This record gives sequence, C-alpha cells and structure tokens, in this order.
Amino acid sequence: MPPAITADRLSKTFKVKVRDPGLKGALRALLKPRYRDVHAVRDVTFAIEPGEIVGFLGPNGAGKTTTLKMLAGLLYPTSGRVAVAGFAPWGGGPAFKRRIALVLGNRQQLVWDLPPEETFQLNRAIYDIAEPDYRERLAELVALLDLGDLLQKPVRQLSLGERMKCELAAALLHRPPILFLDEPTLGLDVTAQEAIRRFLTQYRDRYGATVLLTSHYMQDVTALASRVLIINRGRLLYDGALAALVARISRTKRIELVLADGVTREVLAGFGDVKEFRFPNAVLEVPREDAATTSARLLAALPVADLSIEDPPIEDVIRAAFAGGIELDEP
Amino acid sequence: MSRAPLWLRRYAALIRNAWLVDLQYRASIVLWLLWGVTEPAVALGIWWGIAGDGQVAGYARADFARYFFALMLVNQLTIAWDSWYLDGWIREGELNFRLARPLHPAHEAVAENIAYKARTAGMIVVVWLVVSLVWPAVRLPLAPGRWALTAAAVLLAAAMRFFISFTTGLLAFWTTRATAIMELHAGVSLFLSGRLAPLALLPPAVAGAAALTWFPYMLAFPVELLTGAAQGRAVVTGFVGQLVWLGVWIAAYHVTWTRGLRRYGAVGG
Repeated sequence: MPPAITADRLSKTFKVKVRDPGLKGALRALLKPRYRDVHAVRDVTFAIEPGEIVGFLGPNGAGKTTTLKMLAGLLYPTSGRVAVAGFAPWGGGPAFKRRIALVLGNRQQLVWDLPPEETFQLNRAIYDIAEPDYRERLAELVALLDLGDLLQKPVRQLSLGERMKCELAAALLHRPPILFLDEPTLGLDVTAQEAIRRFLTQYRDRYGATVLLTSHYMQDVTALASRVLIINRGRLLYDGALAALVARISRTKRIELVLADGVTREVLAGFGDVKEFRFPNAVLEVPREDAATTSARLLAALPVADLSIEDPPIEDVIRAAFAGGIELDEP
Repeated sequence: MSRAPLWLRRYAALIRNAWLVDLQYRASIVLWLLWGVTEPAVALGIWWGIAGDGQVAGYARADFARYFFALMLVNQLTIAWDSWYLDGWIREGELNFRLARPLHPAHEAVAENIAYKARTAGMIVVVWLVVSLVWPAVRLPLAPGRWALTAAAVLLAAAMRFFISFTTGLLAFWTTRATAIMELHAGVSLFLSGRLAPLALLPPAVAGAAALTWFPYMLAFPVELLTGAAQGRAVVTGFVGQLVWLGVWIAAYHVTWTRGLRRYGAVGG
C-alpha cells in the first residue's frame, strides 16, 4: 500500500514587507517597499503510512502549521512535492477535500451563535452524507466523545473542551481517512485532553485513519504517537520513534519544590542542577534514574512544603534535540 | 446523475443557518431596515423640497417619490456586504476551514446574500405596500412585461454588485485596507449609481463619464426600468452595459481569486 502522506523536499517561503518604525519608516515603506524572504519550511521530506499517528513537534514558528496547511491544500508550496491520499493537495478539488479533515485549534468552524447540531447539519449537506449514514455517524460520535446534551446548546455557551469535542465531531462526520490536527488540546483541562486522546485512538483503530497532529503537550504525543517529526526553523531535525528520542535526549527529570524557610540556592545545589530559584519556589534538574532517591533525600534533609517530579517541558526536549545535533533518520 | 438536488440541499442548509443566526440578532434586523429606509427617505425629502410644484430635469414630486421608493427596494435586492466578510475571513484566518471543505467559499457568500435580501427586501415590500395605500404617488403601474424585465435587471445588478464586493474583499490577500477601498467605492457610487439623485440630474459631463463605468448599471438602470423612466433604446443599452460589466467583474474575480490563493499566508491557526 502506498504511503498515506508523502512530502518530498517541501519548501515554503513567504515574502514579508520590512518596515522601519515611525512615520518616516511608514513613508519609506509606502514609496519604496522592501521585502525579506522568510523560509517557513525548507526541504522537508517524510512519508506516513496509512493508520499511523504521527506527532509533529517544534517550538512556535518552527513551520509545523505551515507544513500542515500545505498538506491540507491551503497553502501553495514554493517548491517540492506533496501527495496526500494519492492527490496533490493544491488543486485536489472536492474529491481530495472529502478525504481529509483539518482541525485548527484556534480557528473553528462551529457557528458561534447556533447549537453545534446546526453546523453538523450544514456539513451533512456540504459533504452530501445520506440521512441514515448521518444519523449512525452522529450517534457514534456522540457516544465516543460523550457529547450528550451539548448538541442543542449554543456554541457560545460551551466550554473550551466541549467546543473542541464538537469541533472534532463536525470535522469527522464525513469519516475522512486522513486527519490533520493543529493543537487539538490547546487550553483544555486534563480531563478534556484525555477524552480527546482516547477518542483519536479509537477513531484510528476503527477506521484505520492516518493522523498527523501538532501539539505543545508532551502527553498528547506520548499517549498517541509512536513516531514524531521534529522541526525547527523550517528544517526537519528528527523523524523516528518517540521512545528513542526521549531516551537519547531527555536524560533528566525536573524536581519542582516549594520550600519553607532557611534554604538557600547553595544548599540546593548540593542535590542537583538548580535551574530556577525564586524563593520559595525552586526547580532542580537531576539524572532521570536518580529522581526518586534525590526526592527522598530532599524531603529528609530540607524543610520542603511541596515537591513534584516532572518531565522536562517539550520545549526543553526539543531545544536539547537541537543542541545535540540529532541526525535525521533515513526515510 | 443530476447534481441539482445536492446543490439545492446545500443552499437550503446555508440559507437556513444564515436565518437562524439572524434570529439571534433581531434588533440588528430592525436597525438594518431603518438604515435601508433612511438614506432614500432623506434624499427624497431634499428633492421634494427643491421640486416644489414644478419639475427638476423632468422630475416632479411624484416622480421623485416613485424613484426613491423603487431605489430603496432595488438597493436592498442588490446590495452586497461580502467585502467586509471576506476581509475578516482572510485576515483572521477564518478562510482556512472554508478552503478545507469541498465547497467553494463563494457559495456561502451567495447564500448569505439570498438570505439577507429575502428578509430585508421582503420587509421593504411590506413598507411600500402600506405607504402606497395612503400615498398614490408611489404606486407603480401593473405591467407584467416591465416587471419581468426589472427582475432580470435586478438579478444582473445583484450579481455584478456581488462580484464587485467579493473581488474587493479578496484584495485583503494583499492589503489590510480592502474595506477602505470598498468604502471609497461606496462613496463614488453614492453619486454615480443614482443613490442621491436620478442620473438625469447630474451635469452632462459627469453623467457622460458615469455612463462609461459600471455604476449606473448596478442601481440606476434597474430603478428606471421599474419606474418606467427607461424606455426603448435605453433598455437595450442598459442590459448590454450590465452584461459587459458583469463579465468584466467575473474576470476580475477569477484573476484575484487564483492569484490571491497562491499568495495566501493562511494566517492564524
């Protein structure tokens, strides 16, 4: 079976107007505009097999969303080739669009003033879904996403998590085999995040869908994706298993402390690398395997009001990946 | 297999949603209606005073009354707000999900237009009927042929104004001032499309220049068809002008849409 998604030396360059500050700058920009090339995506190559869930990671402005939009056919690539479900997305037309769903975390298709079911009905007409199919799929989505009585409430009265669940339902009524999700859990509480993750796994398992998602939350990626693509400044830095990446990069854990009186930075330095110290809060970094014993030592030796052990933030893992100069796995 | 039922279902769903949203904002419907009535009413008041018991360029008081009532209706049936919507869609990233659907975003805009026009023009017809009961001056002759021609001219004018507004809105792909350009267009149209005064009242040089533009065909021509002011040759040149300018604006739309999409930065989310 051919890959569901392929990108071959994909690049996107934006021309951005350069403007100096002040009135003089505004006048000069008007009379003699200057432009700068911004290379949002550079020579990105990868292939995703049908049924895979792949996490797309990178700091803000790395090129994740731009790549996603090129794959969904919204943006025209500056160079390179893309194939999604056998189509060149740009110009793929309605036949291509019926095979994908694009969910952008902060730009939603639900009609703000109406209950979600009105948007669902609109999509039923747009995607030409037969009434019995619509009923069956809606019932399934309501059960999987626990939408219950949300369908009749105006969207503006729904919580962020409820809106995202309805957003996913609206995007999946036509049962697309390929999903592009941009920050689907952004701003959601832990329960809602888990519900969305569980749903995505079930949807993939039932329909063999291919999912490419971007997220800032390491938990999204660890729970869903066995494979990650890491991108920074438009370049693909890593393509491979998540476990291998974490083992290679994230050899540390963070111990977050709330201290009682009388502890100085120097005292803490005896337990590990002090990353932050703003009394009474402090963050220590210790080797992954030492996290438990160091925590016990801290609790025994110091007046600790609170302590928690965390994985380094995803941004740190990625930053470490850049610093380590990770070799891109051969596709 | 015919795809007509699919398109009917799509348009029915789009129009239904537009009306459902309208019902959430009932006060704004009244405000829009007042806006639609006020401008021609003020213009009528001015010309009513100027005409006195005589005529201005062949227009007596009753002619002005008929003209501005017809204008009120034709304006509501042909007006297009799409540049404002599109500007927002493009600049705030709301075009993204619309581009990802298997339906050209213009269909949503057309459906919005139908929903808006059916609602507002319907109310204006009621206002007109009530006023004509007590004020015979605004009654129109019952001539089916002329009504049919007017319907065709209104349809062409609505299509032209839609493409003008949509195309101007698409300029948001290049500039943040697309709505300002549309405001400028609206300002010029105030004089050249017959909104402030029948075109017969314009100085000959201005009227001659206006005739070379699309402005008279988007409003004044269908209004004059409805009141009976346009006769014979003027009817033919009116329709030819409408068809030519509609073609020009459709072409402009095609160029702007294809080039704009290639340029699109897909801002936001």
